[in-house]
Order: sequence, then structure tokens, then C-alpha cells
Amino acid sequence: MNPLCLMENVKKTFRIGEDLSVEVLKGIDLKVDEGEFIAIMGTSGSGKSTLMNLIGCLDVPTSGRYLLAGREVLGLLDDDLSELRNTHIGFVFQSFYLLPYATVLENVLLPTLYREKTAGHVERRAAEILKLVGLEKRMNFRPNRLSGGEQQRVALCRALMNDPEIILADEPTGQLDSKTASEIMNLLSDLNKKGKTVIVVTHDATIASYAGRVIHIKDGIIIDE
Amino acid sequence: MNRILNILSQALEAVIALKLRSFFCTFSIAIGISAVTIIVATTEGAYKKAFDLVEVFGPDAVLIVSGSEESRAIARREKTLTLADADAIRNSFGTAYLVVPMSSVHDVNVSYKGNRYSAPVVGTTNDYSVSWTWPVVEGSDFTEEDLKRAANVALIGNETMHELFGDENPVGKFIQVRTIPVQVVGVLQERGASMGGGNLDNRIVMPITTVMKKLQNESKYIAVMRVRFEDIENLDFHREELREFLRMRHGIPEGELDDFQIFASKDIIKFLVALTGSLIVFVGIVGIISLIVAGFVLANLFHLSVSERTAEIGIRRSVGAKKRDILHQFLAEAILLTTAGGVLGFLFGYGGAKLLQKLADFPIHFSWKAFMIGLLLSWIIGILFGLQPASRAANLKPIEAIRG
Ligand SMILES: Nc1ncnc2c1ncn2[C@@H]1O[C@H](COP(=O)(O)OP(=O)(O)OP(=O)(O)O)[C@@H](O)[C@H]1O
Ligand SMILES: [Mg+2]
Repeated sequence: MNPLCLMENVKKTFRIGEDLSVEVLKGIDLKVDEGEFIAIMGTSGSGKSTLMNLIGCLDVPTSGRYLLAGREVLGLLDDDLSELRNTHIGFVFQSFYLLPYATVLENVLLPTLYREKTAGHVERRAAEILKLVGLEKRMNFRPNRLSGGEQQRVALCRALMNDPEIILADEPTGQLDSKTASEIMNLLSDLNKKGKTVIVVTHDATIASYAGRVIHIKDGIIIDE
Repeated sequence: MNRILNILSQALEAVIALKLRSFFCTFSIAIGISAVTIIVATTEGAYKKAFDLVEVFGPDAVLIVSGSEESRAIARREKTLTLADADAIRNSFGTAYLVVPMSSVHDVNVSYKGNRYSAPVVGTTNDYSVSWTWPVVEGSDFTEEDLKRAANVALIGNETMHELFGDENPVGKFIQVRTIPVQVVGVLQERGASMGGGNLDNRIVMPITTVMKKLQNESKYIAVMRVRFEDIENLDFHREELREFLRMRHGIPEGELDDFQIFASKDIIKFLVALTGSLIVFVGIVGIISLIVAGFVLANLFHLSVSERTAEIGIRRSVGAKKRDILHQFLAEAILLTTAGGVLGFLFGYGGAKLLQKLADFPIHFSWKAFMIGLLLSWIIGILFGLQPASRAANLKPIEAIRG
């Protein structure tokens, strides 16, 4: 079986200003199979988020090879990257990133706005997902009326809306207390058991313990697994 | 506590600032669009009025008015045309099928059985109704015989009929014109206000001989005459001929000015266009300036909005929005705002135009055109000035938008 993600010698260099550039990722080799639960750990500034963004096609490697679901990502057009994100990836961010003026339901429906083929009954599906995380009664609330944990659960629902293979969570519990954090991690675990591939970035070993595999990054290199 | 207050006041400030900007933007577009609306409505009104007038005036007619251009300009109406001029034209111009002299007296007191009214009296020949294509709906026109005898007979307008007679049938009844008893022989069809300008339905039409002798104490001079030609294609030529003819009859030496003026329907159009032209220039400048200001306010507003909403752009991109989705979203917002301004502007313009019409008697005509032009312009502004900020938003790199 082909891996879901395959990175070979991926490097990422950011240009800062005219002639200054920093190499943040210095040759990443990574293979992620379908159904894995991976935690990425490392110190601040080690390149975890950068790697996450590359996996999620929010950005493209400077060099190397990256296959996502069998497709070569390097050299794709911006529109193609958007489509890959739309269909294969669900993002969860540390600071939730919900649209403040939209309702919970509208936030969850957001990915469907940009889907090529719109399946019918999107609202019913959104309601089902919200029910899964226990927020079916909050559908018409605005995010500012929800607690942090509730907001993150809405963000998780949004990530699930287009039924992607991969959930990418960049420090999803960074703004939550430990009890709420474990609720979120349990949800991610459940999703993984149902077949979703989950990748979580974290500083916290307890969080990492939910994962089946832990990757450590230091200075842009994967140091051990 | 202090911190919370600080955050609250800052949030409030931001909301008010944005609201104020949105309001300012919508408002300045509204002013521009209202100016445009007024321009379109007056232009259309002027043309419509001109064509209405031309239709009533008759495309084959000229109007000869006593007095030189200068004397008319200073409102000193000297009378130079005579009944004899009218007869001479009738005899000398083969294709002039109607030559109708007219003299009028304003604000004449008329009464019937204690009902008093003040109306303009027009003295003319018995062809008046034919000459102005204005049917007599009750009774009949006065006759050539009446004209020769300077008989005390009159046609009355619809409004005068209602004022004096109420529901009574006026035909055959005697009304008092100043101190003279005059028999009503017919009623003119209602003209309505369709011509714009003055009221036509209050006039009283009498034989010109009667008016001159008994109301004006005048034996020779008349105010205007109307000449209609069979060969409309030669109108310019006839006009020049008429001019030479009258100059000769009036003994005006070479180099001196005419002591009369000749108007054709063309001149009516010119006059109205000149009248509205100055207004259009003024309102046009105001309109253009406010539209440009509105455009820059809009652009500024959207640049700020893009900066404040990078996170939103980032989220949308992360769930699969393409560049053009973001572009469209911001453009749509800009157009929404300018459309609101456009609609508001149309309403302002509508009110303003109605006011102008009331105060200055400007010819105003509203049609879908005025509305569509305003709307189209507001869209153009929305797109023109919204495009740059929108494309900035669209070209934000997703990771940078997410990083905030
Ligand atoms: N767009 C960018 N332009 C320039 N430098 C960048 C950019 N993105 C990241 N960096 C730099 O790359 C390095 C790694 O950043 P990254 O966000 O991947 O770290 P991280 O491991 O997620 O850290 P943290 O735990 O603090 O989130 C940092 O030094 C950062 O300043
Ligand atoms: Mg990070």
C-alpha cells in the first residue's frame, strides 16, 4: 500500500528581506501511512509548524520530493494546492480561528463553500458532526459565546466537514486547560480509531502519549522516532 | 479590571471607526450617485419637455415675436408686429397654410354669477384650435364673422370652466370679462400639465379684434404670430424669407437689428438644453468629486479591512479557498457597500430632483435609465477601487495569513 504522505529530503528556506534567508527544514524524510496517529515534538522554533504547513499544502517545499495521496506537490499551481487542502486535509489550530461573525454552523460549513462538487445535505452532515462532539445545541451560537474547549471542538468539526483523510492539529490544546485538552485528545483518538490519519504538534508529553508514533524535530532535522 | 476596560474601549473604538468608515463611504457614494441621478433626470426631463413642446408647437411652425432680442432680454416688450403683417404674410407665402396672430392679456378678472377667477385672455383668429391642434370639446370655435365684427365671444379652458361654472354647462352662457359681457361658445379640451411649465387649461380665447379693441385699447399692434408651412423641409429657408420680408415691411435699414424674433421648434430644444446645461455642469462637478472621494474612502476602508482580517483570509485559504474566491469575496463586499450607496444616492437624487422641480420649475423626468446609470456607476466604483485591496487579500500567502 502506498503511504499517504511521503517526504524525501524536503528542505524549506525562508527568505528574509533582500539577501538573507534561513533554512528552517534541512532535509526531512517522512513516511505517513493511512490510519497513523503521529505526534511531532520539538523545541520552539525547531520547525514543527513549518513541517505541518508543508504536509498540509499551505506551503510548498523549497526542494525535495513530497507526495500527498500519490500526487507530487512540488510544482502544483496555487489552485491545485487549494483543492488538495479542501479535499485531503483538515486543519486545527492553536487559537481555534473561527470566524467571529458567523454562527457555529456556518463555521463548520466553511469548507463546503470551496468544494468543487457540493454534495447535498451539507447542513445535515454538519449537524451530525456537531452532535458527535456534543455541540448540536450550539449550532446557532456565535463563537464568542462558547468556551475555549467548545470553540476547539467546532474547529475540529470544521476540519472534518469535507471528510479528509488527514487531520493536522498544530498545538490544538495549547490554549486549553488539561481537562479540556484531554477531551480534545480523546476526540482525536476516536477519529483515529475510525480510520482518520492524525498528526499533532505538541510540546506536551502527555498529549504526545495519545499518539502511536512520536517524531522529534531539532533544528530542522528529524532526530529520532 | 483596568485591562478589561482598556480592551473594551479599544474594541468599541474599532467598531465605531469601521462603522464610521462604512457610513462615510456609503454616504459619499450616495452623494455622487444622487448628483448623477439629478443630472440624468434633468437631462431626460429637458429632452422630454422639449419634444413635448415641439409636438404642441408643431414641427412645421415658426413663432414670430414682437420686439428685438435686446428688448425682450430686459423684459420691455415693445410691439412691432401688426395685423397687417399677418395678412401680408398670408398673401405672400404660398405654402404658409396657417398664419395666426395672437395677443394676450394676463390676469384678467372674469366672473360668472358671483364666481370670480383671474385668467389669461388670448386674442387670436378663428383658426386657433386648428393651429395648435387643440380640439374644442363642447360647443364650437368662433367664426370668421365673429372675428370681423369683434364679437364678444370666447372659448374657455377646462380649468376656467370648472372655476366659473362648476358642473353647469357653459356653452351659450355669458361671463363677465372685466366689465364686458362675453358669450361662451365652446370649451377647449383639457391639456393637463404634460407640457410642464405653465398652466394651459385656464386660458380664455377670444377674437383678436375683440381683445385689441376692448381689452387692450390697441388698433394695430399684436404680440406674436404663428405661421405653419406645408413644406416642412424648407422651414429654414422660409424662416430666412420671413425675416427679410418683415425687415422690408418694417423699413429696417441694412446693419440694424431685427425688431422681432423668429423661433422654430429647434430653438426650443436649444433653449432648454442651455437651461439645464449649466445645472448639469455644476452638479456634474460635485458628483464626480464626491464619487472620486468615495472611491478613495472605499479603497482605504478595504485596505484596513484586509489588514484586520488576515486571519480570516488564512482560515478560508486553509480550508480550500482559492485566490479568486478571496478576490470575489472582497469585491462582493465592496460592491455591496457601493450598491447601498447607489440606492441611497438614487433616493437622495429623487428627492433633490423633485425639490428642484418644485422650487425652480426644472423639467424632471425619471426613468429606469437614471436608476440603472446610478447603479452601474456605483458598481464600477466598487470594482475599480475595491479591486486593488481585494487582490492584495487574494495574494496573501496562506501561511503568512495564518501566522497573523
Ligand atoms: N514565513 C516565515 N518567514 C521567515 N521565517 C519563518 C517563517 N515561518 C517560520 N519562520 C522561522 O522558522 C523557524 C521555525 O518556525 P516554526 O513556526 O516552524 O517553529 P515551531 O517549531 O512551530 O515553533 P513553536 O513551537 O514556537 O510554534 C522560526 O525561527 C521562525 O522564525
Ligand atoms: Mg509552531
